[in-house]
Amino acid sequence: MGVLPAHRLPVVRIAVRNLGRNRLRTGLAALGIVIGVMAIATLGILGTVLQLSATSAFGGVGTQVVVTPGGSGGAGDGSSLDSLSAVTGGGDTEGFSPRDVQRIRRIGEKHGTVVPMVTAAGTVSRGQSEQIGVLAGTDNPQALFSASDGRIPRNHRQGALVGHDLAENLGLRVGSTVEIDGNSYRVLALLEEGSQFLPIATGNALVLPEGEFTEPYSQIIVRTESQEQAAAVAGELRSAFDGRGNRITVVELSSLLDQIREYFGLLNAVLLAIGSISLVVAGVSIVNVMLMSTSERSEELGMLRAVGVGRTTVMRMVVAEALLLGVLGGLAGAMLSLLAGVGLSVVTPVSLELVLHPRNVAFLLLAFCFGVGTSLLSGLYPAWKTANRRPVEALNG
Amino acid sequence: MAATIPLELEAATKRYEGANRAVTALDGVDFRVGSGEFVCLFGPSGSGKSTLLNVLGLLDSLTDGTLWLEGKDVTALSVEERTEVRREYLGFIFQDYHLVPTLTAVENVELPTVFDGRGERERAEELLDRVGLGDRRGHKPPELSGGQCQRVAIARSLINRPSVLLADEPTGNLDRDTGTVILDEFQRITEEGVSVVVVTHDQLVSDYADRRFDLVDGDLG
Ligand SMILES: Nc1ncnc2c1ncn2[C@@H]1O[C@H](COP(=O)(O)OP(=O)(O)OP(=O)(O)O)[C@@H](O)[C@H]1O
Ligand SMILES: [Mg+2]
Repeated sequence: MGVLPAHRLPVVRIAVRNLGRNRLRTGLAALGIVIGVMAIATLGILGTVLQLSATSAFGGVGTQVVVTPGGSGGAGDGSSLDSLSAVTGGGDTEGFSPRDVQRIRRIGEKHGTVVPMVTAAGTVSRGQSEQIGVLAGTDNPQALFSASDGRIPRNHRQGALVGHDLAENLGLRVGSTVEIDGNSYRVLALLEEGSQFLPIATGNALVLPEGEFTEPYSQIIVRTESQEQAAAVAGELRSAFDGRGNRITVVELSSLLDQIREYFGLLNAVLLAIGSISLVVAGVSIVNVMLMSTSERSEELGMLRAVGVGRTTVMRMVVAEALLLGVLGGLAGAMLSLLAGVGLSVVTPVSLELVLHPRNVAFLLLAFCFGVGTSLLSGLYPAWKTANRRPVEALNG
Repeated sequence: MAATIPLELEAATKRYEGANRAVTALDGVDFRVGSGEFVCLFGPSGSGKSTLLNVLGLLDSLTDGTLWLEGKDVTALSVEERTEVRREYLGFIFQDYHLVPTLTAVENVELPTVFDGRGERERAEELLDRVGLGDRRGHKPPELSGGQCQRVAIARSLINRPSVLLADEPTGNLDRDTGTVILDEFQRITEEGVSVVVVTHDQLVSDYADRRFDLVDGDLG
């Protein structure tokens, strides 16, 4: 048996009771909010997962400027993906002149670390097995690569660093020996399966000391701390080499990355807008339900006004009902989208960590708040309308 | 010192402005209720009884005329002030009881007091005892008979210690015996100084009333 407490939130207690009067209607109204909140939260989570997977795939690309010798036509904008393929191919034989290397170094070192590199394709062998790999020569591999096994030397004087795929195919481990053009190298480290695809695809790479090559540098990579610095380096390089007959190509992906980010931001906004539409629909249904239930209870509410219960109290009662609908529906919706996210991580390669990313938690909260907010707004008009009816009218139904 | 008159209406006119023609529900009515007086109001259907009661209960406003309550002019109060006055001075009893079906008898009686934190549960229990429903406190309206519901409504109308009790057809839905119980209750209430105004078709009421008015076409004659 319910007891009406004297001092403990009678308005809320009465609201709970009223919602219990017509459970089916209450359930349906809350269902609207459940769906709306779910739509917002789930779509938001999906957007975040897409965006984060995409940007992590591009990794540190945004803080890196790659300079290659020779022009590729539109060297001016430099951020197009056409020039990207020229770089990853890495087969340019021309090379930089020592003076150009000096000039690039001077500009690059103002903003970050400059790593000149020689690249070439070559056959890597171990015993009987052979494999074509991308050979890279640099004295400063630490600036570009990280190791999944072994250690990358600070000053690369001997030994090889081997990419993941290459190592797997040849059965290489740290301490193994590989042969290239008749020379043997000890494997110092295995390269981490890099998310970055610049300057070279790390999977098939074999990094040697610079001194092992006789060719001139074929790429110069400038690593910076921030995207802004990368953009600055690219700009200065372009203007320094402007009018010198297209001697270099500058590839800098920070602006592309910005575009990708912008694109995903837009995608997320669209997804949220779609979700919000369903909440608006839910809001309309709550307005409808509250109008229905207040007009059904018109006489009761009129009686309350007659016995001296104020307008604001009546308003609070109705708003509390709508709010409760929102809280119930919002909680259920948030729980369901959380479940959907966890389900996503079970059936797809998306990691649970990504699903539970703080931004997604924020989305859940946001969706919940939207649901509650919608209900609150939807309750205001019916509440105001009911509370302001003249008691005589209300009493006559 | 002369006792103040609980309720007094002077030259009261109420006109409903309809779409095509106006209806004059009250036409210059003078009406007064003394302290502890039991007054009943008769009249054919449509004569303006409910209108008069609504005006007396500050549920409806006058087109013209003046209403005094405990000597104060309450004709032109704001919505909030009217609510306040109703809570402080008036008790209402409706033909359809208007009990909240989801609340128990005692919760219904207590209801007018719970929103401002007073929560007069004990007084509600006492009042239920008084109307003979002490053993029905925990019952909800659907589990009570019509007469019992009306007695719960009477208990509720007294919770705020009103000086005037207004009842519209309180016995309209009840059989004669049950009606008698209700009227006995009204009489007891008047003995405590509460004035009672009952609007009715029921001739039985006039046997209990101190005074009887007949309303014809919005006029007390
Ligand atoms: N809200 C309203 N709008 C227009 N006319 C109204 C309104 N309320 C009452 N009336 C009219 O005022 C007159 C008096 O109505 P009222 O309800 O006071 O009569 P009554 O004496 O209580 O009748 P009954 O015994 O049937 O309850 C009637 O002619 C009625 O049609
Ligand atoms: Mg009437």
